Amino acid sequence: MGYLFDPANWEWLFTGNNARFILEGLLVNIQIALIAMAFSLAAGLGLALARLSRMRWLVFVTGLWIDLWRNLPLIFVILYLALALPEPWRDAYEDAAPDLLPDVLQTGRVFAALLALTLYNSAVLAEIMRAGIQSLDRGQHDAAAALGLSYWQRMRLVILPQGLRRMVPATVSQLITLHKDTTLVSIIAIQEVMRHGRIVTGFNFFGGVQAPVLQVFIFIGLLFIITNLGLSRLSRRLEIREQQRSGTTVKPISGLEDQVATAQTR
Amino acid sequence: MQTMRWRWPAAVVLALGVLVTAGCGDDDDKQAGSGETATTQARTFAAGTTMAKLKDDGEIAIGVKFDVPPFGFKNPQSGAVEGFDIDLGKRIAQELGVKAKFIEAVSDNRLPFLKDGTADLILSTMTITAERDEEIDFSEPYFVARGRVLVKEDSDIKDVDDLSGEKVCTALGSTYEATLKKQAPKADLRLVDSYSECLELIQNGAVDAVSTDDVILTGMIQQDDSLKLVGDPLTTEPYGAGIKERDTGFQKFVSEVIAKWKRDGGWAAAYQKWVGRYTGEKQDPPTTTLAEALKLN
Amino acid sequence: MGTLFEVLTEHFDELGPGFWVTVRLVGASFAIALVVGTLVAALRIAPSKWLQRLGGMYVETFRNIPLLVLLFISYAGLRRAGVPINNWVAGIGSLGLYTAAYVAEVLRSGVFAVSKGQVEAGLSLGFSHPDVLRRIVLPQAFRTVIAPLGSITIAMIKNSAIVGVSLLTLPDLLKEARIVQARTFQTTETFFWAAVGYLLLTAGATIAFRLLERRFAIRR
Repeated sequence: MGYLFDPANWEWLFTGNNARFILEGLLVNIQIALIAMAFSLAAGLGLALARLSRMRWLVFVTGLWIDLWRNLPLIFVILYLALALPEPWRDAYEDAAPDLLPDVLQTGRVFAALLALTLYNSAVLAEIMRAGIQSLDRGQHDAAAALGLSYWQRMRLVILPQGLRRMVPATVSQLITLHKDTTLVSIIAIQEVMRHGRIVTGFNFFGGVQAPVLQVFIFIGLLFIITNLGLSRLSRRLEIREQQRSGTTVKPISGLEDQVATAQTR
Repeated sequence: MQTMRWRWPAAVVLALGVLVTAGCGDDDDKQAGSGETATTQARTFAAGTTMAKLKDDGEIAIGVKFDVPPFGFKNPQSGAVEGFDIDLGKRIAQELGVKAKFIEAVSDNRLPFLKDGTADLILSTMTITAERDEEIDFSEPYFVARGRVLVKEDSDIKDVDDLSGEKVCTALGSTYEATLKKQAPKADLRLVDSYSECLELIQNGAVDAVSTDDVILTGMIQQDDSLKLVGDPLTTEPYGAGIKERDTGFQKFVSEVIAKWKRDGGWAAAYQKWVGRYTGEKQDPPTTTLAEALKLN
Repeated sequence: MGTLFEVLTEHFDELGPGFWVTVRLVGASFAIALVVGTLVAALRIAPSKWLQRLGGMYVETFRNIPLLVLLFISYAGLRRAGVPINNWVAGIGSLGLYTAAYVAEVLRSGVFAVSKGQVEAGLSLGFSHPDVLRRIVLPQAFRTVIAPLGSITIAMIKNSAIVGVSLLTLPDLLKEARIVQARTFQTTETFFWAAVGYLLLTAGATIAFRLLERRFAIRR
């Protein structure tokens, strides 16, 4: 216990560049999470629509795809893609990566990480979106059809805006899980917060101050807890606003890992 | 080991050395060759060769270790990557007339990086082995390390036979996995992603010994002098630069640069700066040839 | 096709034990997650504000911290602090305590589904608070949340792979696959069989929970 609170063990936090180095690493995690989320939203929407289509085979195949990515461990997919991704794909990524991205994110390895995160996350989001869309009152579909709108017009103008808005709290919640999952990319040598933390504990003779593993990783843990608490508070606030706005809510079982929202009203 | 008495002066010299090199380089990993020799020739290369392509690109991507002092490590205070491998890398870049970009290559992604082009060259404490030679090409050896065993100073382990039943740490995908299975079949092998994890595990008592190249182990002793090397060398490990398979033009070029580096004192300076200063041992540039190295391993 | 099966037969003596390590890891962590999760859920619905806050802190901590960070803290961190924790205990403890936070959350929602009337009836019959919890509320709560518990179990099976890649050096299925791959370079074949292993486990869990649901679930 004394070891935990001994101020000598926390001195590293205030010396040299250590704290900033770790925060710089955390920034990389946040960036990866946001980029992966952006791609996942687009892909997830596509998958959700496919799941809701009238073509039986498409529903079935999409269902299999979603089940596959939701059942494989994410770290497994990350490692596999990092080892097996063909060179031309990586080159294409490195050429396409815009220069406003930091150097760390322009390496081909990051493509494997982003692809893995997107494959998994889009599958989860697809289910969340599907639940949101299906939770809409049938009356909406019928009214829109009665107005003479085609399937796609109905989707675009009536169903999707309402259904997707309901899923915003659940999506923000999923961002928390995604943010935690970005630590896994440290395994494929991407320089994010875990790697920076390990460097800080290893090279204490540069700073002259011992940076013990326990304290460094408690610090990193606290950083995540704080950012994720902020996100979950945001999610709750959005949920309340949605409840006030529409009178009905889709009730996700809050904070469940790999949650699928369950519709409450039909 | 004399390192005990050397600790404080060595630390001061190291800190000064770091300040000086940090001052010379940029932050982040894009560094031009820092002038260790006076001549910077603007060479031109035959079209179609890797050298010409790299010259056009203006930079060479070199895979190095980020967590293995003294050969390749990232200094958290300056953000720059430094070490013996990095100095050789800078020299090669200088001879090409391009910038060196150092990326991290851990033991099990070194070969994939070369194959898929993420790295143009690998200088990452990589031992020349016949098995690896089937997947990539090597330059002539630029350093000869020896496999040793590292233990805590109060350990009973005296050499490799004592490793039976003990927990021994080495890196996933390194040559030591096979070596230890042969020389210490009853040892409890613990494989990790990088040697910094092995250092952590032996320091906190989770493993009893670490086995890998003596220079990597020396880097660990630098950070924690309660560790020591024991036993006779297990293996001889000639280090070579990793080059994409069948790129003989580039392989010849790199080997020539290495030979020149050995001749004109660049090797000796790097050795003293990164190794000799800590081990107190003298070494001459290696004369082992690639052919001999392949027969060894 | 030939190489695919060859890889399995040649390296079964490594991949097989890896699979069993994963099974043991998941089994033990599941037990801990249930026990600790139930305790924390009980805290969260206890009459005392302090106990509730304690439970709340547990859930917020273990839900928002990445498992990999937790593993570093529990193994490397604790060992440095002088606690001689071994890698199995650290692995099972971390995965178990991490999952327990989710179990607690889910149980809490299950508890709210049990009508207040039952609690009051139990109390007026002379049962103490803990007894009401144990005999009336929790059994029903569990039966309400079987499906989400299944979801949590599958997440735990996937998270067990993270334990394998951490510095705990536990030789689970993914770790063994990486060891074989680093030696033979047959990436797709080795990882294919590891995937089969994980899918077997998740499919098994899905089927098991669906059966449990059919038999025991209370629909609300």
